[in-house]
Amino acid sequence: MSALRMLPRARPMHLDSSVVMGLRFASGDQTRIMSGDREVVGYGINGRPIYFDSQDCPFPAIRFRELTPEVCAIREKELGDWKKLSLCEKKMLYRHSFCQTYAEFQKFTPDWKLVLGLGLWSLAIGCAITVISKLNLYNDPPETFEEDRRSAQLRRIIQLQMNPITGLSSKWCYERNQWK
Amino acid sequence: MLRITAGKLAGAMRGALVGNSTRVAAVRSLHGTEESAEEFDKRYEKYFSREGIDGWEIRKGMNDLLGMDLVPSPKIVEAGLRAARRVNDIALAIRWLEGCKYKCGDQMATLYPYILEKVTPTLKELGVPTLEELGYDKPELALKSVYDQ
Repeated sequence: MSALRMLPRARPMHLDSSVVMGLRFASGDQTRIMSGDREVVGYGINGRPIYFDSQDCPFPAIRFRELTPEVCAIREKELGDWKKLSLCEKKMLYRHSFCQTYAEFQKFTPDWKLVLGLGLWSLAIGCAITVISKLNLYNDPPETFEEDRRSAQLRRIIQLQMNPITGLSSKWCYERNQWK
Repeated sequence: MLRITAGKLAGAMRGALVGNSTRVAAVRSLHGTEESAEEFDKRYEKYFSREGIDGWEIRKGMNDLLGMDLVPSPKIVEAGLRAARRVNDIALAIRWLEGCKYKCGDQMATLYPYILEKVTPTLKELGVPTLEELGYDKPELALKSVYDQ
């Protein structure tokens, strides 16, 4: 069965291979093959034969499980009075069509722990890389970073009245020789 | 001659224009009318109780309804259940009940018992179990990895 599933359902033999390829990408044939022998029952979210549980689109395009002889037998019974079905059979029919109930797929899962853990780990690794490169990789900062050189630079900026409208010099009062 | 023709033409045009404008008005009023809640309920009831409706249309209607910002009224819920009965799909009926229950949102405590009370006769008649009977109000199974199935 699994080998059969890999074969495309309908191959347009009169077309050359490039056109077939294009058709396949356009028509979602791959998805159709992946859905196997599952019954296509509706439009679903985008018309593709895919299954997923979602409260926004609770009725997917295909049934969740492939047909088996047992399910076929129960579906024969389903044609008749539903009161004659046992609770177990009803559940089987539900699980044949759907993977999870609302209560199951809406349950809050503890996945947030993994996400938070991975996030903190990547932060920690980033910090470690920063510290290690600071210690081992980089040279000392250039001498222009020294305190008296920087203050000399500032003094020069003020003396040359650089950027007097909005910049540094606009904050310097030249009459009283101090910061405004 | 030209004047007469032009006059006739203008008359004809006016007729056409007037015809158009009434048609436009009709379309606009169609577009602009607000559908009342009762009309909406009736429309969907009619949709679900149509003879010869198939699974595709039922699923489409239900997907649409459960995507809207509303709680389906008990009559629509009933019609949906009966539609599921007509296509012999009990899973559809159970999922529909679940969806309607979810739509009650934060008013679950008041709205869901109301809907259930109204729908119970239909459920009994069709033999659809309630979610509580199925145990689907709480998670039943843990999800297996898709690679193990």
